[in-house]
Amino acid sequence: MERDEGVLLKVDDLRVSFDVQGGSVEAVKGISFEVKNGSVLALVGESGSGKSVISQAILRILPDNGRIDSGKILFCDPNGNGDVIDLAAMSNRDPYLYKLRGGRISMVFQEPMTALSPLHTIGNQVEEALTLHHKKTKAEAKTDTEEVLKLVGFPDPARAYEMYSFELSGGLRQRAVIAMALICNPAMVIADEPTTALDVTVQAQILGLMKELQKKFNMAILLITHDLGVVANMADEVVVIYHGEVMEAGTVDDIFNNPQHPYLKALMAAIPHFDMAPGERLVSLREMGAEDGVKALGSQFAVSREVKNMEGPHLQVTNLRKEFTIRRGSWFGSSLANTIVAVDNVSLEVKQGECLGLVGESGSGKTTVAKLVIRALEATSGEVKFNSANGMQNVLELNKQELLEFRKTVQMIFQDPFSSLNPRMTVQNILREPFQIHRQGIGDEQRDQVVELMKLVGLDPRFLNRYPHSFSGGQRQRIGIARALALHPEMLICDEPVSALDVSVQAQILNLLNDLRKELGLSSLFISHNLAVVNYVADRIAVMCRGKIVEIASCEELFENPTHPYTKSLLASVPYPDLDRLLDFEEIMKSRTFDITAWGGAFSVSEGGTLGHIKVGDDHFVLANENCDRTELSA
Amino acid sequence: MLGYIFKRILYMLPTLILTSILVFALIELPPGDYLETYVNELLAAGETVDPQQIEFLRQEYAFDRPVWERYINWASGMLVGDFGYSFEFQLPVRDVIGDRLFFTIIVTFATIIFTWAIAFPIGIYSATHQYSWGDYGLTFFGLLGLAIPNFLLALVMMYLAQKWFNTSIGGLMDPEFIDKPFSWAKFVSVLEHLWIPVIVIGTSGTAGMIRRVRANLLDELRRPYVTTARAKGMTEFKGLMKYPFRMSLNFFIADIGGILPQVISGAELVAIVLSLETTGPLLIAALQSQDMYLAGSFLMMLGFLTVIGVLVSDILLAVLDPRIRLQGGISR
Repeated sequence: MERDEGVLLKVDDLRVSFDVQGGSVEAVKGISFEVKNGSVLALVGESGSGKSVISQAILRILPDNGRIDSGKILFCDPNGNGDVIDLAAMSNRDPYLYKLRGGRISMVFQEPMTALSPLHTIGNQVEEALTLHHKKTKAEAKTDTEEVLKLVGFPDPARAYEMYSFELSGGLRQRAVIAMALICNPAMVIADEPTTALDVTVQAQILGLMKELQKKFNMAILLITHDLGVVANMADEVVVIYHGEVMEAGTVDDIFNNPQHPYLKALMAAIPHFDMAPGERLVSLREMGAEDGVKALGSQFAVSREVKNMEGPHLQVTNLRKEFTIRRGSWFGSSLANTIVAVDNVSLEVKQGECLGLVGESGSGKTTVAKLVIRALEATSGEVKFNSANGMQNVLELNKQELLEFRKTVQMIFQDPFSSLNPRMTVQNILREPFQIHRQGIGDEQRDQVVELMKLVGLDPRFLNRYPHSFSGGQRQRIGIARALALHPEMLICDEPVSALDVSVQAQILNLLNDLRKELGLSSLFISHNLAVVNYVADRIAVMCRGKIVEIASCEELFENPTHPYTKSLLASVPYPDLDRLLDFEEIMKSRTFDITAWGGAFSVSEGGTLGHIKVGDDHFVLANENCDRTELSA
Repeated sequence: MLGYIFKRILYMLPTLILTSILVFALIELPPGDYLETYVNELLAAGETVDPQQIEFLRQEYAFDRPVWERYINWASGMLVGDFGYSFEFQLPVRDVIGDRLFFTIIVTFATIIFTWAIAFPIGIYSATHQYSWGDYGLTFFGLLGLAIPNFLLALVMMYLAQKWFNTSIGGLMDPEFIDKPFSWAKFVSVLEHLWIPVIVIGTSGTAGMIRRVRANLLDELRRPYVTTARAKGMTEFKGLMKYPFRMSLNFFIADIGGILPQVISGAELVAIVLSLETTGPLLIAALQSQDMYLAGSFLMMLGFLTVIGVLVSDILLAVLDPRIRLQGGISR
């Protein structure tokens, strides 16, 4: 084939299939695209679309049961002699492939924790990528390694060289993986969901870093992601993939401003965004027909609810605190006890029928708050009051019997639909378990209830005898929701209920939760790291950071008028799937602060005083120094 | 690191004291003592027994003292290397065990090395060629080795050797060297005899080891860091040895703790069938005849080696795995 000027990689009618028990499955069905020198191409698709398989096929690192059936992968090294090489036609052990991998095309992986070996130092693993391709003395290699570690933003490269991956934060780990990919100065980097496992502020930094380095070295990036927000901010060209086929391809402008294919249009409509009118509904890719079920069952719930006629908030948390003691058996005999404050003086209220969103990054203590509220953990101090039929109850002082009653009224929906359902129980047994634990009804009644629950979440009751593994992620999450609803709770605590799901399924689950809440009059505490998701379901939002609530306000107020610097940086880090609202990478890279909690001025107590929640608007409170100048806060 | 080792050794003391009390109690539990067994044997043989002589022996060996006093005598003796006196052999325990312990160590270590040398390459092959004919074939032989009892294999090999080569493969050396001082010729003779017990004892261990190497390696082979290594341009074999194999070694190091006690007790049945001069048969005989100091010393040594073995494997794990070394925090 003759050489195309400026084209680095050309994938032509690629077909990849996997041998599975009893036949083979075609994962990639005739995909073609081109990556130009020094540009960013994004492959977008949901899980199972085959986008990662393409990246593995390019490097020829498919798993043993995968094979390239037909098609070409043409690579033209800009530093080479202009020859075009067909990677797909090479034998598995062609020496050129070992030179190519890591040397000319390198890879950045999704999970920086598992992509690095915990037994070898960061320096060893990054350096290895260099020494595999270039002859270097030990000292030279070390200097080069430290240099690239510095380039990707390690504050102390010499120290990082000796560290192990588990000693680093998620963001720094991903920087180490990027360093590993860059050290040989490759022509192209394949980034497979490089920021999916990271917090949103860290994601913005990593994306900024990748963009900066891409320009600096004029590399091409093949970006594989499911997140259209990331695509809008990073890509020059976009290829949308669904079930191994290209749905639509074009420049980033075409894709976002003029989407043609129904799949792409549907995908865009399924993402919650910040400009949604109140009451606007997400359009799920696959409707599940649960609305009628929700309405039917809703009337039952409503009756039991009206009798109670409660006053005051539904849940009131005051000055909640949780400390963990970590005992480190040190190597030198003595053991050091370290106290970590996971939840620090948290106060919040959930009103009757309200949905309070709790937003924070990993480690901010939001899940701990949820566990303290349902008493899965014992609080160190503070109060949790729950408004039930017999007035305000102090949850932290309930005895065993009262606690059992209380647990009927507050139920939890968990993050991971895979590990939160027992794989050895049928759906029938999973859904019946709450009735059995609380001794409600006998055999037949329980079975009828279980059938009702299945209808409620839009699943066919005929599936009751199946095991969880035969359901998709979204269906499993619906089973989890059905289980939470079994005992007719008054409040739901949702802990990241959609973060493990694809966008299209996410819309389904969010709509279901919204419908349930409205029809059944449930109050809820909705925990998420995703601001757009919280905005879609919640009435008010509390922002958590390092165990503290730094700001709490209604959705509109928070997004229009964020006051705390942490809230501001959080909002500034969210990548929107909108070309008119791109991330300000310059601003993000300029700050380059690793400690985003080092706030100055009115938000710190470095000059004395105490932190308190200060009212800055209607129902809008922010954590600041109580002696501060109030006008500083509104600025 | 040194502080850690020191602390661990300190923790060992109560364990060992408790073990010694248990061992002593166990030996004391059955009714009667060695002298009674001895008298009964003499009477059964129709010989007369001089009660005075028995009384003299009883005092001489402190059988008339209270239990705790005898325990303290025994335990404090062990601290200075005096393991007591074997009534059966009429010799100090140390002299009875001495030579046999040496041969046991040779047989055991040869077996361990044999096991590793066979099991690791096969385990790695099986894991990297999962579900291939090679994997199935090796797995079949491995399971066969696991299923055949050692002593049976020993009997079969003895029979075959007798039938085909007309030689006896029992013992650890040619009969002429037994009880002779150590010499080059004796050493060669030991080597000539060693391979039979090593194969017989090692077969089942090897088979089990293959399965464990394979299973552990299979777990690791699917980890993302393996893909990382491949994407870096590492060759398959180099990447395999540096990352997943190294990672799968943890189980194996943890196993070392269990190997040391085998030095003493391993493969008694095979030793009896092949009439090896190792410690296994001696332990059984001592327990049968209530030769309490001999049996007690054996059991104590087993306990001691177990504790040492666990210590060694813990230290090795900490040295080899930075996660254990650096992350030993416990939250509560």
